Amino acid sequence: MKRIDDTSKNTKLARYLPWLAAGVALIGAVSGLFGSGQVRNMDVQRFAQLPVLEGGRVKPLDSIARNSLLVIRSQQSFRYNDRTVNADEWLLDVLFRPEVADDQPLFVINDPDVLGLIGIKQSAERYFSFKTLVPHVDEIQKQSEAAHPIDAKQRTRYQSAIVNLFERLYLYHRLKHTMQIAGSEGGLAQEIKDVAAPGADERQNALRELGLFRALPGVKVSDWRSVGEALRDARAGQPLDKGLAPMARVGDAWAKQDAPAFNAAVAEVLAMARPEELRAAKSELSFNLAQPFYSGMVVYVLALLILFVSWAYKPALLQPVAFAVLLVGVFIHTAGLTSRVILQGRPPVTNLYSSAVFVGWGAVVLGAILEWMYRKGFGTAVAAASGFASLIIAHHLAADGDTMEMMRAVLDSNFWLATHVVTITIGYSGTFLAGAIAIGWTIRKHVVKDPDPAAGKALVSMAYGIICFAVLFSFVGTVLGGIWADQSWGRFWGWDPKENGALLIVLWNAIILHARWGGYARDRGIMAMAIFGNIITSLSWFGVNMLGVGLHSYGFMDKAFWALVAFGSTQLLLIAFALLPRRFWHRGPGPIAPHAPAA
Amino acid sequence: MQKSENKSKLTKFLDAALSLKVTIVALAMLMVLVVACTLAQVDMGTNGAVNAYMRSFVVWWKPTGQNFSIPIFPGGTTVGFVLGVNLIASQLRGLARTWAKLGLWLVHIGLVLLVTAEFVSAALQVDARLAIEEGQTVSFVERPQEFELAILDTSDPKLDDVYGVPESLLKGGGTIAIPGTPLSLRVHAYFKNTELGRKAEGDPPTMATMGVGTGVTVKEAPPVTSDDEHNRPATFVEPLAAGKSYGTWLVSAAMGAPQAFVHEGHTYQLSMRPRREYLPYALTLKKFSHDVYPGTDIPKNFSSLVHLVDKPAGEERDVLIFMNQPLRYAGRTFYQASFGKGDTLSVLQVVENPGWLLPYISCALVTLGLLIHFAMGLRRAQRKRQRQAAAAQNA
Repeated sequence: MKRIDDTSKNTKLARYLPWLAAGVALIGAVSGLFGSGQVRNMDVQRFAQLPVLEGGRVKPLDSIARNSLLVIRSQQSFRYNDRTVNADEWLLDVLFRPEVADDQPLFVINDPDVLGLIGIKQSAERYFSFKTLVPHVDEIQKQSEAAHPIDAKQRTRYQSAIVNLFERLYLYHRLKHTMQIAGSEGGLAQEIKDVAAPGADERQNALRELGLFRALPGVKVSDWRSVGEALRDARAGQPLDKGLAPMARVGDAWAKQDAPAFNAAVAEVLAMARPEELRAAKSELSFNLAQPFYSGMVVYVLALLILFVSWAYKPALLQPVAFAVLLVGVFIHTAGLTSRVILQGRPPVTNLYSSAVFVGWGAVVLGAILEWMYRKGFGTAVAAASGFASLIIAHHLAADGDTMEMMRAVLDSNFWLATHVVTITIGYSGTFLAGAIAIGWTIRKHVVKDPDPAAGKALVSMAYGIICFAVLFSFVGTVLGGIWADQSWGRFWGWDPKENGALLIVLWNAIILHARWGGYARDRGIMAMAIFGNIITSLSWFGVNMLGVGLHSYGFMDKAFWALVAFGSTQLLLIAFALLPRRFWHRGPGPIAPHAPAA
Repeated sequence: MQKSENKSKLTKFLDAALSLKVTIVALAMLMVLVVACTLAQVDMGTNGAVNAYMRSFVVWWKPTGQNFSIPIFPGGTTVGFVLGVNLIASQLRGLARTWAKLGLWLVHIGLVLLVTAEFVSAALQVDARLAIEEGQTVSFVERPQEFELAILDTSDPKLDDVYGVPESLLKGGGTIAIPGTPLSLRVHAYFKNTELGRKAEGDPPTMATMGVGTGVTVKEAPPVTSDDEHNRPATFVEPLAAGKSYGTWLVSAAMGAPQAFVHEGHTYQLSMRPRREYLPYALTLKKFSHDVYPGTDIPKNFSSLVHLVDKPAGEERDVLIFMNQPLRYAGRTFYQASFGKGDTLSVLQVVENPGWLLPYISCALVTLGLLIHFAMGLRRAQRKRQRQAAAAQNA
């Protein structure tokens, strides 16, 4: 394959097209940041900047809105009455106009038995409003309480679904009772007036117990108060919290849909926030709006598509374009990762979700480096494919709520998160990337008519280099993990499932390298083994979490089991393809290169 | 002639032992063991699975419903040993002692150290625990998996004299003299794990003639395998002094209160408790803290502020033990492990492992070795590509 052909009259086009494509992709990706943020002339997005305390950290209301809606409806916005309702508007309705929110189809229910329980036949309709579910809440609670004592791993599909539905209903119920007693006459304003009235203490206690977040700032994080707590303190004789009255005005204006009053009250509420917390909350809101990992995913697909086209049409022109678009993806991905690190004040990997984002990032960067070195398009292909796959996985892992949750005691160590977790995750990236290259090699072997032997060799040497890299990082990461374990649990190695998983990756990569050095496996064998590395890495990354034993079972997941089985099967199939002779697929003329038997 | 034949045999053996095939097969076997050990943890608990698969010479398989076991796979110890021999042999014979191979040398020396460290900790690591309440001073650690029969002379109100009879002696049976006392113990029976029940009509007669044991039936139970469970050993012992018997007593870890008898004005208490090891220094818990993130019950930190007094060594200081920050003192390491009693009780894990430093050294060696080796490889590949590019240009 040739580099850009200088003699062609398309020289100028060839020079500028990559820049142009990159520019378009970048603009498309950041377009989410620019919007009016208004609903019916009300500054909804401004209100969503408000910093509040939930889950142990201060975050903008927008994050609560998005994560709650994601948990309840598995989406961050929805269509209702022929317009799109975004999470911020929805949250305002839940807080201050629950009668509107109760009518909206929020609760996604897929389980036929749960639908049967509430007397609905399974149909195309999957989303149900709170109003539809109200008559069945007692029954749902009863069923959920029956299933609750059963260990999460032992529950049947129906039991998991009913417990999950009840938890979502309860989350909704708590949100509704955070700012005021849902549906009460006069809302929060009346509550402030009646603060010392007889019987108000019961309502204050209800608000205190149910309120999901604390909206009234304090000097220290532990001083933040919820509306219920502030009202109770006022009843006990303390001065009324200054934040309550403006908040009540926001609620009142939203209930009446009075835009000027709402905007004025929001300005008042934001003025009460502490500047540094407001600044951080604004940054997080921008991060939420930009959705860098989502746009990154789209850009990677784009790069992949351009590359596919380039294999059939004008490779010299389109390959650099694909690479340029990939680099935009890398830029967005990196920016998103960096923002997360800054927002959270933590190293990049803190949970399963962020490990997926980071594994993808590592693979993409390595792939981009390979493309830079070889310029054959393969680097772009494997980088874009692994970036896309890992961000899809991350997207599905994000459905459980806040992805920036606080770290449990033993994990609360930036040093070890930065060293052990990051190195081992880069090791995963490397192993996956080697696997992806091997898959590319396999497909190419069967599909391409007259394969250029140099290109095949280049792929093999890429895979070999990446495996060396993966051995280094997974070994160092594993041993650092052992040292962390020695520091915190008193043993270097405890044969814990997660440790074993990491060890398997090291062992497998070591086997590949030794098989190559000993000459027991040539190109084909190495490539088949590299694909098997995908299975081992996915098992060690996700599979061990499904066993539910050991100290590392912090990321338990049950839904992914079949996805993992499916992934493993495709990889086995690919290994079979890798080992089949070339003519199996393509009945072309020409000599078939002698292959060494695989080890 | 004879000599050279011998030599060639030795060479043959070395060749076989250092062959990369052996390396690969052993690595693959290790992978199989690791997978099996991981899966087995669901049923057997971590300790049980590790003992069966990793810390054994042979993996045994017991057909269901049969009494015999058959060996089906080499155990982790065997595979580790083979790998070690292979590694050392290949190091000595196969690998050229040149600067180009420096990286591989470092890697393999590091790996030998790592394997050694695992053998050392399997053989020498001692786990114990120290439960301490706020304000309490403790100068012993307990081994929760081992028990001892404690005989306490409580006659002196200021100081209790303690004599501990370890499980291993009880297992042997016979008569055991208790040093420093006129007593000896005749052991009638010893069970590693038991279930105690109230004696009902029709139950077989008990061996106990004195104490609570006369009204209790003892059923032997299989020793526990899971890490969360503990054995409840029980023994029937007959204290003897000056030719006189004080009856046969049932002593069990499942019993709450100790039982006592009096000999020549000395009151002796009998109890079964986790084996204690006394320290030449004492720890006092000043404060235990359990912090959570505000508004949640997500734990943020657990920490124990401990006052350490070591009179013989002249050490006296405060130490804060918290997550990822253990106290290392006099060959033992104290880790924050657990807590209880409304956050006033702190449980420290206490580990003695003379080989704890080995993995650190090994990690450094292997990392350095891999870096050197791959950096050299990368440079070679780069040069080769440049040569090819130059050749292509010339052509």
